[in-house]
Amino acid sequence: MMAEPRSQDVLEEGVHLDAASDDAEMAELRSLLLGPAEGQIAEIHERLTDPHRQLTEVSTVLPDAIAVRTRQDDELANALGPTVTTAIERSVRKNPQPLVDAIFPVIGPAIRRAISVALSGMVQSLNQSMAYSFSVQGLKWRIEAWRTGKPFAEVVMLHTLLFRVEQVFLIHRETGLLLQHVVAGSAAVQDADMVSGMLTAIQDFVHDSFNSPAEEQLETLEVGELTVWIEQGPLAILAAVIRGTAPQELRPVFQETLETIHLQFRTALQDFSGDASEFDGARPLLEDCLQTQVDQDKQAAAPNRFPRSLIVIASIILLALLVWGFFAWRDSRRWNAYVERVRREPGVVVTDAGTRDGKYFIDGLRDPLARDPQAFLAEANVDPKTVVTRFEPFQAMSPEFVLPRARRLLEPPPTVNLKFDNGVLEAEGFASLEWITEMRRTVRFVPGVTQFKDENLLAVDRIVNPSLLFELDKTEPAPGQEEKFKQLMADIERLQKLAESMNKNARLEITGHADGSGSEERNAELSRGRAEKIASELNARLPSKNNLTIVAAASKEKLRAELTEADRAANRSVTFKIILTDAR
Amino acid sequence: MMSERNIVQKKICMLGTFAVGKTSLVRRFVQSIYSDKYHTTVGVKIDKKLIDMDGTQKMMMMLWDVEGAEQAHELRKSYLRGASGYLLVADGTRKETLYRALEIQTRAQDALGLVPYVFLINKSDLVDEWTIDERELEALVEKGWHVIRTSAKSGVGVEEAFMALARKMMEMPK
Ligand SMILES: Nc1nc2c(ncn2[C@@H]2O[C@H](COP(=O)(O)OP(=O)(O)O)[C@@H](O)[C@H]2O)c(=O)[nH]1
Ligand SMILES: [Mg+2]
Repeated sequence: MMAEPRSQDVLEEGVHLDAASDDAEMAELRSLLLGPAEGQIAEIHERLTDPHRQLTEVSTVLPDAIAVRTRQDDELANALGPTVTTAIERSVRKNPQPLVDAIFPVIGPAIRRAISVALSGMVQSLNQSMAYSFSVQGLKWRIEAWRTGKPFAEVVMLHTLLFRVEQVFLIHRETGLLLQHVVAGSAAVQDADMVSGMLTAIQDFVHDSFNSPAEEQLETLEVGELTVWIEQGPLAILAAVIRGTAPQELRPVFQETLETIHLQFRTALQDFSGDASEFDGARPLLEDCLQTQVDQDKQAAAPNRFPRSLIVIASIILLALLVWGFFAWRDSRRWNAYVERVRREPGVVVTDAGTRDGKYFIDGLRDPLARDPQAFLAEANVDPKTVVTRFEPFQAMSPEFVLPRARRLLEPPPTVNLKFDNGVLEAEGFASLEWITEMRRTVRFVPGVTQFKDENLLAVDRIVNPSLLFELDKTEPAPGQEEKFKQLMADIERLQKLAESMNKNARLEITGHADGSGSEERNAELSRGRAEKIASELNARLPSKNNLTIVAAASKEKLRAELTEADRAANRSVTFKIILTDAR
Repeated sequence: MMSERNIVQKKICMLGTFAVGKTSLVRRFVQSIYSDKYHTTVGVKIDKKLIDMDGTQKMMMMLWDVEGAEQAHELRKSYLRGASGYLLVADGTRKETLYRALEIQTRAQDALGLVPYVFLINKSDLVDEWTIDERELEALVEKGWHVIRTSAKSGVGVEEAFMALARKMMEMPK
């Protein structure tokens, strides 16, 4: 600081000194002193005074200068701020469209991001509850897919088809011409280019008719069960044809697509002259609009990986199947065993057996004498409630059925024994002549009996009442009874033999009788005397009497009413009662 | 870049007073049939026709036909917007439709700038009722207008008129 004023003083001094000297000298001196620098000084002078030169020079350094300064501090921004604001304000007042066009691709995402940040907390909790409910849903669909044999994806598709974006139009805003058109699936849609024009025309119509401001455009059109969603951009329109009820979340997908298209195809959109092939590159973007939303829903609804809970449930199902399979197998084994058992049963014929309408059934024929097949169910461990039984009655020809049947039809007294062998029915023992006669008639109608034998069947009537006659008022038999007596003894002998062969003991009770004449006392005496007389006679004359017990008894009973002398004679007699006991 | 399909799309507007035959012309051109039945639609009716320009180039004409008694002063900008050309139609049997057409043309030019157009004097089949002065048409031709006499009823000049417009549009620099 100190040196400068001093040198100035020196210079001024010099000037004072030279004041008197000649101008030419001065010029020479100057050129001597400055030499070649003189030309440079002139150039510097020019650079400082010519505004055009200055402009060019500043322009070369300006961008770098701005860069340098911006790196240092914000002063430049502070300084320029008000000017830029005013400039933008003026520009927008004059024509807002360029600015709108320029910021449209940016502002949309910016606004949506701000909103989504604000809402994210809420959305998150919502997502969780959705995921939960959807996992249950997804499980149901997996089971349905398994049950119906349809591919899982198809089942999900059926259930999630709440909406489908079927077509997307990309329309040139200015001309209403169709730029691109994508269709979901195979449904061919005709005249997309005309639809495109109509959509624009409708837009214009609504806009013009209701005088709505430019930014408020028609967004939704309802056409039957279809909805058309229209997204407006400055240069292009995206229209989506949706079947069903589309969720609002779909809007941002369309908006973003339209913004991307604006970014990528800006110049093509501005210079469009009718060649839509320039927008072939936008097809994938539009196709994403067709599918992503549906796919996302599908995925959210039914996660592609099997959740752990599903594995557990699948295992339970498998286990249940195994258990069920085992029981089914065991049941069918039991059933088969039962049917076999019934087949073996005499008098029962199984014609058909199996399952019908979820129940076992067994059909056939059954002799009424055979055992009821239902009786074996418990034994075979088959639940009677699961079985439908139908047996028609029939007559079995096997020996074990012929004999019981014969017994039932012939009703033999206990003293008669029936035997059946190879078609031959044999009766042995003794019975009343009446029964024997009846039996001989009936036996011919017993199914299964081809021959009948009754040599060993004794009619006991001759023993019961051998018609032995006695003298009036005497215990002696009347003369001429010898033949009858011999016959009686033969009969008794035969009876005794039969009893033996039947393993029985026979006992004879002899009752004496008297006619109505004479006193009661005398008659009792006569009756007893007559019975004893015969008993002693028999005991004396029968060869073996070991097995025969003979008991004598009196009776007041008359064998028949006494109308004639013959009746009276017949009443003077004895009768027998045969008592069989088991032989010890 | 030329499309593989070689199809170029163009929006074309039908302009002209009420009942000059715009709708009939479109129908005749698109379907090659003429119907005497008069349909009034509300708003806009859009039709299309694919035409062969030469061996390789095809043009899809999107034909915008406005409905109703559209007057020059209420011709909607949105209707014209983006049109690559237009057909101006007058009715040869109604002289005043020619003057209306001239007004409409001025307005269309304001909105669209210098896009190609062809002037159609329609109903040429009704020569007996012809009221338009031939000298007035000649004056227009001298001004450089392309004037074609058409009949939507007989089909005369219809194809020619649309093709003329198509060629003009193809000649236009992009
Ligand atoms: N004779 C005749 N009648 C026509 C012709 N073109 C249209 N018309 C009739 O003119 C009337 C109006 O036609 P239209 O096409 O609806 O006119 P727009 O209002 O311009 O659409 C209808 O009755 C048509 O049948 C034509 O070339 N010849
Ligand atoms: Mg019409």
